[in-house]
Amino acid sequence: MSRQKWVAIAIATVVLAGVLSSVSPVFLTFSNFQAILVQSSVTAIMAIGMTFIILTAGIDISVGAILFVSSALFAQLYMDTESYPLAFTATLTCATLLGALNGVLVVKFKISPLITTLATYSIYRGAAIHLTGAQNIPVPREMGFWGNGRVFGIPVPILILIAVLIVGIYVLSRTRLGVYTRAIGNSERSAKETNLPVNKVLILVYGFSGLVTGIAALILLARVGGLQSGIGIGIEFSVIAAVILGGTKLTGGSGTVLGSVIGAVFLVLIDNGLNLLNASPYIYDIVRGAVLLAAVTIDRYSAVRQRAALEAQRAQRIELDAPSAARSEIGMEVRRVSQT
Amino acid sequence: MQSSLRFLKSYPALQIVAVLLVGFSLLSPYFLTTGNFEAMLGVNAVVLIAAIGMTVVFLAGGIDLSISTVISASAVIAGLVMAQSDSVVAGAVTAVVVGLLFGALNGVLIGYCRLTPFITTMATQLIARGIAFVLSQGIAVKGTPYWMLDFGFMVWLGIPAVTLVALGVVIASGVAMSQTDWGRHIMLVGSNAEAARHAGINTRFIDFSVYLFAGAMAGVAGFISIANLGNAIPGVGDTLLLMIIGAVVLGGTGMTGGEGSVERTLLGVAILAILTNGLNLLGIPFYDQLIIQGVLIFLGTWLAMRLGSTRST
Repeated sequence: MSRQKWVAIAIATVVLAGVLSSVSPVFLTFSNFQAILVQSSVTAIMAIGMTFIILTAGIDISVGAILFVSSALFAQLYMDTESYPLAFTATLTCATLLGALNGVLVVKFKISPLITTLATYSIYRGAAIHLTGAQNIPVPREMGFWGNGRVFGIPVPILILIAVLIVGIYVLSRTRLGVYTRAIGNSERSAKETNLPVNKVLILVYGFSGLVTGIAALILLARVGGLQSGIGIGIEFSVIAAVILGGTKLTGGSGTVLGSVIGAVFLVLIDNGLNLLNASPYIYDIVRGAVLLAAVTIDRYSAVRQRAALEAQRAQRIELDAPSAARSEIGMEVRRVSQT
Repeated sequence: MQSSLRFLKSYPALQIVAVLLVGFSLLSPYFLTTGNFEAMLGVNAVVLIAAIGMTVVFLAGGIDLSISTVISASAVIAGLVMAQSDSVVAGAVTAVVVGLLFGALNGVLIGYCRLTPFITTMATQLIARGIAFVLSQGIAVKGTPYWMLDFGFMVWLGIPAVTLVALGVVIASGVAMSQTDWGRHIMLVGSNAEAARHAGINTRFIDFSVYLFAGAMAGVAGFISIANLGNAIPGVGDTLLLMIIGAVVLGGTGMTGGEGSVERTLLGVAILAILTNGLNLLGIPFYDQLIIQGVLIFLGTWLAMRLGSTRST
């Protein structure tokens, strides 16, 4: 099921790339391919963290603010102390803690994740501007390595993206945390009833999203050259759009991190295409919105068809073998993993 | 005494309003003046009208993220129509029609195609924002009729005219929610859609209608924003979403539906309005206001949840 999900966005991405390359000869070059991946790296890395949150049927509106706090903290700390290790550690720790704080608030106060993170969005952003006194801070030139440097000829942001993607895929498909994440999204109540550590998992998941957002902030800072007041405004919607385009269900339980990364690349391809057409920058929003609407509509109607087919199949199976159909797939998986 | 205490207890928003009013009166000599109250009322008419739309959507168990930028789109299009025709009536009608069109789009997609409200309205939010910026070229629309500018400064009985419009909207919506079948059906669908369907309520139509209503409110809010600011501004709605949702949940209307009312949202708007005004008078910088606003929205929602009701928000 979920494999088909990311295949759809992958096909759409390849088709769009094909159309763009027929319009522009520069498009189908290796360097442009790399440029697109670098451009999408910040959103893609954040989308990996957001995928986990949405898989639990949660949401985090504050990621744009965490991106801004991390950028501000790094720029300010480096300016004050000129110590890379300190600035790095402090930034990533702070980003993780802010993410985890969202998780703690969601778990302890039982206010919906949307309202909770809308409130922390305001708090984090205000705190970051308070910290830097609303000024732009340049970062040293060596910092550019994280945005424009290359290792073995591959741009550093792409390497970081691949590393985070591998961690994401591994955690989601090979660890208990991943299985619990999906289980909570499928039904938080049954996850609690089967004594899964729901609260711990939720805090870890929001914390992980904070951590990867901190990593994304370092790439962004390096690429932009310094702290600017507009960093992170509205990016939460691009991140969520990438996750949804990638086939993850907003209601939780089903989705993949690979799909979210392809979704982020797809969004950059759209921008690229509009750029090739010399479209007004104001039109970008309209096209993004329309694409998102089209994607969820198509998904909705294919889901309706799929469910009808599944129900027909199930009706047949119940006639043949009643007890085995009663066992749910995810319950089996949880049991199997908890036993190992 | 007993009953008034209980009343206070079930409306935690009222307690917060009282504390803020007393606190700021003590802290700033300028706070408790008619000029300041007029300003405060006028500035918040737009948020109040939009928040009423959001409240009705919340009551039905949905959410409309597009309200904020539909305000911008309807303001810009109404502004352009007024600049061409110099007719305020044409502008008002245009604003409401644009709002209704966006509302109908959301309503059809969510009510009849059963798409998720969050994603659908996130997409239409982008589309509305894009339309506002494309049509205005990203700058304020010039050529607002003079009557419109006067309207923004009109005061009747010590209350700005724009606020009277907003209060009219609150009263009309309050009556519609409590006295009509439409309102009762919204509450039923919000508290239990399955049961409502079995009771014979057309839940799809109810879902459609709340987004249509929210769209109309966004249209009215967009029109009022022109009177307030003197021009149609394409970015007017961009920063309002936090205020709108914050006001609704602070008032005690939850996101799960069926719990709350439009009158409560009036209190929620009052809290944020008084807070912003008071902090401005005290010279608190905007970034510290963001922190205070966030904390208050969170704690207020938590209080409303604990004291006002047992359901989770």
